[in-house]
Amino acid sequence: MVQILDVMEKALNGKPMSETDYQLKLFAPKCQEKVKEYKIKYDPENPIPQDNAMADDLFQAGLELLVDVGAFCTSSGRVISYTESEIKEALKNAPSKLHFGEGRDRKHLVNRKVGDKTPPWCLLGAGGGPCSSDRSFLTLVEGYAEIPETNAITTPAITRVGGMRVRPASPLEVLAAMRNAVLAREATNRVGRQGIPIMNSLATAESDIAFAAALHPKFGMRSSDGYMICCMDPMKVDFARLNKVAVALSMGGHIGMCFGPLLGGYSGGPEGTAVSNVAHHMMGLLTYQSSWLLPFTIHLRYVASSPRDQLWVISSMGQAVSRNTHLLSLNLNYTTAGPCTPMCLYETSAAVTSAVTAGLSIESLGVATNKHEDRTTPVEPRISAEVGHAVAGMKLSDANELVKKLLGKYESKLGAPPLGKSLFECWDPEARKPTKEYQGVVRNFKREMASLGLELKPEMY
Amino acid sequence: MSQEKILKDLQNAILEYDSGAAVSAAKAAIAEKVNPLTAIEKGLVPSIEKIGDKFEKMEIYLPELMLAADAMKSALGLLLPLIPKGSKGVKATVVIGTVQGDVHEIGKNIVSSMLMAGGFNVVDLGVDVKTITFIEEAKRSGAKVIGASALMSSTIGSQKDIVDYLVSNKERRKYGVIIGGGPTTKEWAKEIGADACGMNAVEAVKLAEKFAKGR
Repeated sequence: MVQILDVMEKALNGKPMSETDYQLKLFAPKCQEKVKEYKIKYDPENPIPQDNAMADDLFQAGLELLVDVGAFCTSSGRVISYTESEIKEALKNAPSKLHFGEGRDRKHLVNRKVGDKTPPWCLLGAGGGPCSSDRSFLTLVEGYAEIPETNAITTPAITRVGGMRVRPASPLEVLAAMRNAVLAREATNRVGRQGIPIMNSLATAESDIAFAAALHPKFGMRSSDGYMICCMDPMKVDFARLNKVAVALSMGGHIGMCFGPLLGGYSGGPEGTAVSNVAHHMMGLLTYQSSWLLPFTIHLRYVASSPRDQLWVISSMGQAVSRNTHLLSLNLNYTTAGPCTPMCLYETSAAVTSAVTAGLSIESLGVATNKHEDRTTPVEPRISAEVGHAVAGMKLSDANELVKKLLGKYESKLGAPPLGKSLFECWDPEARKPTKEYQGVVRNFKREMASLGLELKPEMY
Repeated sequence: MSQEKILKDLQNAILEYDSGAAVSAAKAAIAEKVNPLTAIEKGLVPSIEKIGDKFEKMEIYLPELMLAADAMKSALGLLLPLIPKGSKGVKATVVIGTVQGDVHEIGKNIVSSMLMAGGFNVVDLGVDVKTITFIEEAKRSGAKVIGASALMSSTIGSQKDIVDYLVSNKERRKYGVIIGGGPTTKEWAKEIGADACGMNAVEAVKLAEKFAKGR
């Protein structure tokens, strides 16, 4: 079994190579070689593919890609290679079920299969989106914790401390990460969900020092939380990330590697991006010692998960992984449109449908490309979760039809999406519900979804 | 070897992402006394523009764009020193990098390659670049534009440092400062006193063209 010391040994003694050569001369051509060898083909007419043989080929292509290129350590400038037997052993030993949270909020994250009726694990929130103040942070996390489908929370990121903008690896980042932990717990306590797990660990802690500092027990993080560590595209790691791994392991925390091969980036088009995503799943088990995975694959042009070819990537890699492994994998999605717009809700519905019907769980979501401060509310993750529960058990062919109809509603607007409204323009923190305007948008959206064949929960407002 | 053949070889080297062929063709151009500006303008530029268009339409992807830009850079390395400074037809120099504390490189690489495709002389400083390095390299290379990329909300503060440093040293008017990356916005550019925010690579190139003419 490959453990952290084995990873370090490989990182220090693997084949020396420049980062550019790894990316452009090893990873990129090998990825395309696998696409050709296995004849993986994107079909724009079917954004949800229904070809089991292709899903299995995709899995094999991903496995072989990892054997051929390994991971790359940018700190040592060496390739971290794995044998096929090491990869298969890691797949065999990976958990198919994990517990997160405490008390009555302690729940099981379980492996799902294609068309599984088991509802997806709903990791809900902002996916590390920037927020401007403690007030907006608390408002958002309280809102996420009150969503009935919430299994775990993905917090926003604090961008200021004492009026000063956070700086990397500085005391400001350390203090912000500590504040992230404290405020997230405070918010869940305020709404009576004390045991709910936080699974993006510390969205504000980019550096290893801030990550480690904020894990002191007095700030409230628990071993029953999830410890997300982000991989660099493609298949890269550095000592700072491995430091986070060593610290999280010492806490007894379950690590989830977050990885986002860009469609149009080093992996090439949709086919290569799907192969790369599969390979990243296995690389995460080994290099980042992950027990759960978080694919976060987005489109280079639109910085979102909702374009047609991106939906195909989500579904095809999800099918490949869930048909051939028992891994715990959650897809994180981004929209282009902002809160209080129907487009945002259609976009997240399409991405969630693609993920859940392919056997994945969900982390939802980054709104309006997760770029703008406070441009997210608790409504969008709630709708994502409701859609996720509603499509659990849906056949791929039905999902394909639904997704095509959803694409018809927003695809032409991806180039100039509406940014909608900011948090306090469309969410009332005192009433803990959306404004009347946003309630109307949601009601209309649900009526429209029903007309497309998907009945969602009636609105409670 | 005829000038026509040399220009064709330069064009093909870029279109085939072949640095070795680009160097050979550039050497041939020098040996055959082809005007280096002609070699650039009629050999390299049309092909790299085609590559830029294809990338924009997503007919090719990042690896091809970067390999073509590498081939272009290899040939320019031989041809540019032969052109007198200030000659008509040579575009400005842009210094670009990802700011201190941030190791994300994809967005910066795309903009860097697209700038090269747009005919700029690009000095790519890589990732986790100190503020002072941006400034020193801009001075050393005679750049007109500084491009600073940041992907994290915790690292965009370093973009402000670049502007502050230039203001403090009374050098602000010398350089156009263009920022970009995930959490950056036009509002942030205005707040910190940068000249502009490139929301994507195409816009970044247009902004570089604007500020290369002076602030």
